[in-house]
Amino acid sequence: MADVSFQKVRKAFGSAVAVKSLDLAIGSGEFVSLLGPSGCGKTTTLRMLAGLEFPTEGEIRIGDRVVNAVPPGQRDIAMVFQSYAPYPHMSVAENIAYPLKKRGVGRAERDAKVASVAATLQLGALLDRKPRQLSGGQQQRVALGRALVRDPKVFLLDEPLSNLDAKLRAHMRAELIELHRKLGKTFIYVTHDQLEAMTMSDRIAVMHEGDLQQFGAPMQVYEKPANLFVAGFIGSPAMNLLPGALESSGSGLAFVRQGLWLPVGAGGQAGQKVTLGVRPEDIALGSGPFVATVRIVEPTGHETIVMADIGGQSAIVRVQPDAAHVVGSEIPFAVRTSRLHAFDSVSGARLDLAFALPAS
Amino acid sequence: MSGNPLDKRYAVLGAMLIAPTVLIFCAVIIYPLVSALYLSLFTIFTPTLRGNFIGLGNYAYLANSPEFWRSLWNTLLWTVCTLTLQIVFGVAAALMLHQNIVFRSLARSLILFPYFVSTVVAVLVWRWLFNDLYGVMNHLMLMAGLIKMPLDWLGSMPNAMISIILVGAWKYFPFVVIAVLARLQTIPDALYEAAKIDGAGAWSRFVDITLPQLRDVLVVVVLLRAIWDFKEFDLIYLLTGGGPIIATQTLPLMVYKDAFGLNDMGRASAVAVSMMLVMLSFMVLYLKLAGRGERESQR
Repeated sequence: MADVSFQKVRKAFGSAVAVKSLDLAIGSGEFVSLLGPSGCGKTTTLRMLAGLEFPTEGEIRIGDRVVNAVPPGQRDIAMVFQSYAPYPHMSVAENIAYPLKKRGVGRAERDAKVASVAATLQLGALLDRKPRQLSGGQQQRVALGRALVRDPKVFLLDEPLSNLDAKLRAHMRAELIELHRKLGKTFIYVTHDQLEAMTMSDRIAVMHEGDLQQFGAPMQVYEKPANLFVAGFIGSPAMNLLPGALESSGSGLAFVRQGLWLPVGAGGQAGQKVTLGVRPEDIALGSGPFVATVRIVEPTGHETIVMADIGGQSAIVRVQPDAAHVVGSEIPFAVRTSRLHAFDSVSGARLDLAFALPAS
Repeated sequence: MSGNPLDKRYAVLGAMLIAPTVLIFCAVIIYPLVSALYLSLFTIFTPTLRGNFIGLGNYAYLANSPEFWRSLWNTLLWTVCTLTLQIVFGVAAALMLHQNIVFRSLARSLILFPYFVSTVVAVLVWRWLFNDLYGVMNHLMLMAGLIKMPLDWLGSMPNAMISIILVGAWKYFPFVVIAVLARLQTIPDALYEAAKIDGAGAWSRFVDITLPQLRDVLVVVVLLRAIWDFKEFDLIYLLTGGGPIIATQTLPLMVYKDAFGLNDMGRASAVAVSMMLVMLSFMVLYLKLAGRGERESQR
């Protein structure tokens, strides 16, 4: 059963539309990331769910209750803010106890719950400190503690790791995954960092300009991007997008662009503008029917990134670190046809085309 | 500091640079202070500035003077009441102006108006409003049926004291508004949003978020306004002149009356010194209390 659902939710701030028409159903206990570049509507979506913004149209449900008109405090949700927002004049213990206090929980029960949450988050030694005496990572734990202590149905996290340094971020990522596993509650996580979304989520909702682009498991989003935006956004280095067209060739069709010619087995029609998507790891340099010119070689240690010119467009290729490529040289290459993506250049939608390598 | 010659030259340069400030400070602060202490030990005829040394005679006189104690009481009453009203209305107005109300920027400028108007002008206007024969206040209250006879706003007690307290609150509450509004704008929205999600209602958010955040600025505002209200002269002098008789006479008015009305500069200095001592003791107490609160909030 869906724990959280959006039905035709639209949010406009004056004439600016932040979320266009969102339909999203999130299952109980799922870890879902809302992923997209800034201004894509992901934070607005989360804030509508929290009750900090109200939808212009549509319905939001938590469980089987429509919460459009329910105040944030009564929605059975907890939220961790990007700035953590610990109450500066309260000690760590008071911060964590605050949501309980506001719900009229008695002192003894409050103390017991604070102690148990503090133990979970290893905050026990810091309970008497003020937030300003804590590091960023510790403040983050306080914010998490304030959410945990309530035992809510849904946890909302708004870019909670973006203010931490890289090492601590990796550590907190692992802790959040562990926490989600232990609690078994629904987590909704807003981020612009695809690495966080890919590593932590059960499912990722990719958003762009107020529209949901794709909603699926991380590998599904990676392997079968629904459109050009998702294809370009997910993956680092990004997928190479090479525009071309389908043309008749003998008995069938072929994808044609400068420097590339790939027979197409099924689907599509002649004259259609098609963009070919190739992940950097799906180009094999060294042998094959096509030729690329090496422009830049960037060794990173565990792999080497080569920027090569394919028919007038630069493409990124991921190669083994031991491969030696000389800048300016021309090398033959092949593509893994089973792992190619095709998109309609006009609508951006994914096309199911079967490619083959040209017979040599 | 090491014996480096460059360090010594910088030290000399530093002393030279602050010297003018120190000299001006001595001339305008230390000299009058010492001079007031010195004068308070004499009976001095103001026009000639000559007189006899009488030791603590002036202070002994004041200790037994009902007028002094009455003036001290008036000063405290006026300060506490007008300051309380300034804080309450100042914070309320700041909270209102912090909301997204229509004409917010216009309202923000208008509310500062009383603070910008010269005291003389403001008091003249209020004396017209309060006038017992043709003042608007009496007219409006008569029309509304609140009173049957015109009130004597400035010439009888307790009306005169209430009037100066109200005009003082009106004149100086914009200062509280400016200071509090500036602080309100720096409180992060996320704190209020977190509190909303934690289940705090509007009142809880005010008590648990806004007030603790305003604490520091209110300490400064109360301290400054208390000092300024305690030594307020022009507003009271122009409104009631301390009257009826000495019913609204505060210590600054008594200093003025003794020095230039009764021509006794010595006794006036003794009143001024006593005033300073009262203020000093309150300030020390207040700073101690505020400091304790601050340490507690930092612990």
